[in-house]
Formats: sequence, C-alpha cells, structure tokens
Amino acid sequence: MAQPAPETPFGTQEAFHAAFAELYPRLVSYARRYGAVFPEDIAQESFVILMQREVPVEHPTAFLYGTVRTLSLTERRPMKNQNLSLEVVNEPGLAGGADDQVLNQEVRERMRMLSPTFREALWLFVVEGLSIREIADILDIPEATVKTRIHRAKAQLKDQLNPTGGVHVLV
Amino acid sequence: MSWSDPARRFEPAEDVQLRAELRDLLGLGPGRAPSEVEPTPELKALAEDLRREAQRRSRTQRKRPTWGLLAAAALPLLAALAGLGGWGVQQKHRADDLAAQTLRQEQELTRLVASHSTELAMERQAKAEVQQQLQLASRKGNRKNEPFLVIPVGAPLKVTGDDYQRVKQDPQH
Repeated sequence: MAQPAPETPFGTQEAFHAAFAELYPRLVSYARRYGAVFPEDIAQESFVILMQREVPVEHPTAFLYGTVRTLSLTERRPMKNQNLSLEVVNEPGLAGGADDQVLNQEVRERMRMLSPTFREALWLFVVEGLSIREIADILDIPEATVKTRIHRAKAQLKDQLNPTGGVHVLV
Repeated sequence: MSWSDPARRFEPAEDVQLRAELRDLLGLGPGRAPSEVEPTPELKALAEDLRREAQRRSRTQRKRPTWGLLAAAALPLLAALAGLGGWGVQQKHRADDLAAQTLRQEQELTRLVASHSTELAMERQAKAEVQQQLQLASRKGNRKNEPFLVIPVGAPLKVTGDDYQRVKQDPQH
C-alpha cells in the first residue's frame, strides 16, 4: 500500500520537484541581480524558509521571490548598498548565467535605461512572469502602485523608442 | 505546468495583454507558454535535501515562548513593582502625615509666642504704671514719707572726766 505523498507548499512531491526545477534557476538569477555573493545559497535558503513555515503561504512563488530579495539586500547591507535596485543588471561578470539566456544585449540596454524603481516592477512582471498581486507581495507595496510603476516603465520604454517626440498618454 | 499558483491562474486578461505589450516593446517577442521543466536528478536531490533540512529545522527549532510563559516570567517583576509601588505610596502617606504634624506644631508654637508676648507687654505696662505712681507719690509727700528712720536728738552730750576711766593694768609679776 503506497503512502500518501507528503504535502509541500506546491502540492504533491512531484509538483514540488517541478516547481523547484523551474523556480530555482530563476531565483538564483534574481539574487544575482541584487549583487548577492552567494545567490545559490540564498535561493536554497528561501525554499527552506518556505517549507519550514507552519502556516502555508497564499502565494508561494511571491514568497520565494520576496525572501530572495530580502536575503540578497541583507547580504549587501554591510556594503551599504541598500539603495541598489537591480543596478547590477549590466555589470560585467554579475549578470551572466541565466540572464543571458533570457535577455539579449539590446533588451538589457533598454532595461538599464529605466529608473531602478520601475525596472524592478517591470522585470518581475515581464521577464519573471509574476502577477501584479505577487509583485505587490514581493515589494510590499499596494497593487495600484505596482500597476503605476509598470505603466510608467511602459511610458519610458515608448520614449526610448520614439526619442524625437510624439505624444502618448499614460493608460 | 504540473504545479500551480492561484495568483497566476486568475490573472486578469488586461494584465496578460499589458505583459504582451511590454514584451513587444522590449523586443522579447511573444511570451512563451509555461513549459513544464523536467527536473533533473540533481535538482530532485537538491529539492529533497532542502525539504529534509526544513523538516529538521522545524523539529529542532526552539519554540517561541507563549504569552502564558511570558506572563509567568514577568510575574516576579510585576510583583516586585507592585510591592515597590505600595511601599512608595505608604511612604508618601507617612511623609504627608509628618508634614501635617509639623505644620500643626509650628502653628501652636506661633500661637504660644504671640500669647507670651502679649502677657509680657501687659506686665511691662503694669510695672511702668507702678513706677509712675511711686514717683508721683514721692513728689507729693514730705520726708516723713521717706523710707528711713529719723530719730530726733537734743543737746549734744559733753564729754567729762568721769566719763571715762583709765584703767591701768599692773604688770604682773
């Protein structure tokens, strides 16, 4: 008689393995973008913290991203670079690995031109594919603020594509 | 994907459209469907290690003290504080009583001083009146009234030879 599979934040054990296989490289990349020295450790620690919780979280993916963000910023804290927000995207040697498979040079240049605040929300929404609600959980801000940042990032991207002028409205 | 997150299952259509527009603006092309990543044996082993680590930490994690435990720990402190407060209140009452008693004694002393001063003034006034009356009486009266005895005498006594007798003493042999 087969024993029931242990419950995980993502459901069955097979579902947890699938989620881990998809999310782990992304979380490592995400930690690396914050300049973490040991991004793999941070991603693994985030999974442990998630599974260690007695009360299950509503959005495990958002919880993982938020934990990685917090741990990465905490790791950087002794270097007094708390205000950095995905600033290391284009720094040589720091943004390699999985990032290069996702973004080409042109896209990275466009992202770099955005203000760090908008870039962070845009990155999570477009590249990581997270929902507005998840991003709000990760950044600990209201959903309306996330939408505003994404729309402003969109406006800045349009300005980049049409530098000579043109009028566009914020929708 | 074999795992699901409710936050993404119920994503509004406008958000999906916005993401597609942004991907287009960034030049990322159409969004890829959530492909099911086949976990490698290494990733499976790592996931299981992390799960075991989480279970181990859950077992060995020191439980946070409950409110009852905190209350029990704080009870001696609260009792000490209450005792100290009671002693302080008692000392304050005692000090108030002493202050009131001192005030009463001071008022009594003031009253006694005022009374004695009045008596002294009355005595001085009475003495002055007596002296004044004595002076008036001495001015009005004659010498008979003087406070010494006067004996009137007649002619002075003459000293005669018989009045005295020389007494010779014989030398003793």
